[in-house]
Amino acid sequence: MNSESQPSQQTTRVKANAILAEVDAQPTIVNVAKASRKLAALSDTLAKVSLRIGCLSSFTFDPLKPFLELQGLRAGMAIEAYVAPYGQIEQQLIDASSDLAAFRPDVVLLAVRLQDVCPALYEAFNALTADAATQSEPARPRAGSSVSEPARPRAGSSALVDDWITRLRSALLTFRQHLTARVLIQNYDMPAFPAAGIADPRSPVSQCATITRANEALTELAGSIENAHVMDYEGLVSRHGRRDWQDPRTALFARIPIAPEHYWHLAGFYVRHIRPLYGLSKKVLVLDADNTLWGGVVGDVGLDGIALGHDYPGNAFVAFQKRVLELYHRGVILCLASKNEPGAVEEVFDKHPDMVLRAEHFAATRINWDPKPQNIRQMAADLNLGIDSFVFVDDSAVECELMRTALPDVLSVTLPSDPARLPGVIESLDCFDQWTISAEDRKRGRLYRSQVERSELQAATVDMPTFYRQLEMRMTVFVDHAAHVARASQMTNRTNQFNMHTIRCSEDDIRRFMEADDHHVVTLVLKDRFGDNGVVGLAVVRMARTEWVLHMFLMSCRVLGRTVEQTFVGWLAEQARKAGAKRLSAEFLPTAKNKPFVGFYQERGFTAAEADGDARQWVWDLTDAETAPPDWIDVIAASPDDAS
Amino acid sequence: MDNSRKLRSTISAILGVPEDQITDDLSSETVDTWDSLNHINLISAIEQEFGVTLATDDLADSQSVRKLKALLADRGIEVKAIANSE
Repeated sequence: MNSESQPSQQTTRVKANAILAEVDAQPTIVNVAKASRKLAALSDTLAKVSLRIGCLSSFTFDPLKPFLELQGLRAGMAIEAYVAPYGQIEQQLIDASSDLAAFRPDVVLLAVRLQDVCPALYEAFNALTADAATQSEPARPRAGSSVSEPARPRAGSSALVDDWITRLRSALLTFRQHLTARVLIQNYDMPAFPAAGIADPRSPVSQCATITRANEALTELAGSIENAHVMDYEGLVSRHGRRDWQDPRTALFARIPIAPEHYWHLAGFYVRHIRPLYGLSKKVLVLDADNTLWGGVVGDVGLDGIALGHDYPGNAFVAFQKRVLELYHRGVILCLASKNEPGAVEEVFDKHPDMVLRAEHFAATRINWDPKPQNIRQMAADLNLGIDSFVFVDDSAVECELMRTALPDVLSVTLPSDPARLPGVIESLDCFDQWTISAEDRKRGRLYRSQVERSELQAATVDMPTFYRQLEMRMTVFVDHAAHVARASQMTNRTNQFNMHTIRCSEDDIRRFMEADDHHVVTLVLKDRFGDNGVVGLAVVRMARTEWVLHMFLMSCRVLGRTVEQTFVGWLAEQARKAGAKRLSAEFLPTAKNKPFVGFYQERGFTAAEADGDARQWVWDLTDAETAPPDWIDVIAASPDDAS
Repeated sequence: MDNSRKLRSTISAILGVPEDQITDDLSSETVDTWDSLNHINLISAIEQEFGVTLATDDLADSQSVRKLKALLADRGIEVKAIANSE
């Protein structure tokens, strides 16, 4: 890192963020076009990840492209998009030499509307059901039965859906044979005005029910294709209002069904689904206290004077806190940064009967008069998390502006002054998303809180071994443990710092490694006197006769600096030696964020071999290697049928 | 921003033509980037910037600055003549 280039890079980032914020406030076609021109040359400086996105759509997708690129930049991605001519879905997927395949996409967006591939379902639904009903009459066996059955859905509308899903399935299966790109498929939206009017819900062949079934079939289809996921487009359209989501003029004129004022929302929707796949989701929510968690300034009005309770405006703050607590239970880490006397804030947490959030929900708290950027920097260090995973929420425009200038990597959100609008701000944050929520996520807040307690213990002790022994660490190592698949995949997507080369893996990727004869997936669970840290280490090893290769090696940052990483790689080396291998080799690829990994191999006894491009190869000669664990960690190998 | 400035700024943003080169005579005949896709984008952008809905019937054959101004005039928005520089 060049220290001279830092100030100017920071200025660039601050300016770029301001441009992006302006667009977000007024995402018109003109503002997006102007911002794209201004930022085009900067995208590599601003982005953390470069991505190639192939867009297959059943409508004209081109106007969305600049919107997609800008939304990508907001999330830290430099997007290069290929837009196939509209309507080319199956041919682009199937043909191994298609333009899409030649583009070598990292992600393929399937922006297909059911309106376009099964138009009768939306435009002629009543006729379709009527036809199906009459057609099925003659086919009905034996005239003797006088009771006429209701029309079977399968005959008309559902046959159309089945046909499309079947075609899509074979196209995707063929695609999978030649490309590994992740596939994101949008599901199908309901008609704003069902064909049967108010009778639709009770109709034997309901249009909305038919589309719901199509969405279920799509979800099932995505589940059967590796690295394919469904995006809830139906939910997006309903959030923004079905009727005005479409613009009949651009639809009929240019096959652009989406109204221009929604381009930004649609592009943001796609990006929201992509960012968690590349470790770009935020992790920490830092909250102000006065006029954020409650109304009023507690230092001025006292415990009884703040607005928090059953009636307006107090109920707005209760509702706000409830939304925040929901994020906590989803795995978002909460912090508090307040300019106050500590006693005043602590009293509210301890004594106010209507507080929803409790002191134990916060992993770190800074109540002082220091500048907030300084406090956030400190919290990032204590929690061992990157500053760019932080979101800062404050009612003060001044505090937010200071944060944007001092720490442009932090996402700063200024709260509206109308308390009634506060809960909506938290609900609409789209930066914390993860594709799945694991058991780990549900207790993350507690885990990080224990970590801060551990740092406090460290502060009170002198020598490290004594500190390590006080932790009473016990690590359990699992080999190819199916119950850890989701967590292992998630670790590859979330871990940026202690990670040898930051390869991201889907659950299917992990499963494939587990099933391969020459690979093992090893997961590490760490317990200590403060609690269960859960799965915090992951290694994927490839085994040959004389050499084992560490294909992947990463650790959750919250357990670093406790010799667990050295012990883990020692254990792996010992298994290699027992299996007759002479060497354990590994590589290191420096990224912007994995500095904590630098020096790890060397300290552990590896020697540097040749560099391969940017990656450096390391080898540990196992002949005399010291692999035994330190006396302060108990190492247990889980038996295959152990529960996690 | 007066209407003339606003129209030029909009056209410039969508078509990538410098503002000072935008005159009443500019049309899809003379500008490469003024294709059918950008035309519909331009119409949508003008509607957003001026807060109006233009008459659908005339959209397709309004591929010149002069004709766009006529569409705006139909909606009561007068745009001064745009000559070469001002």
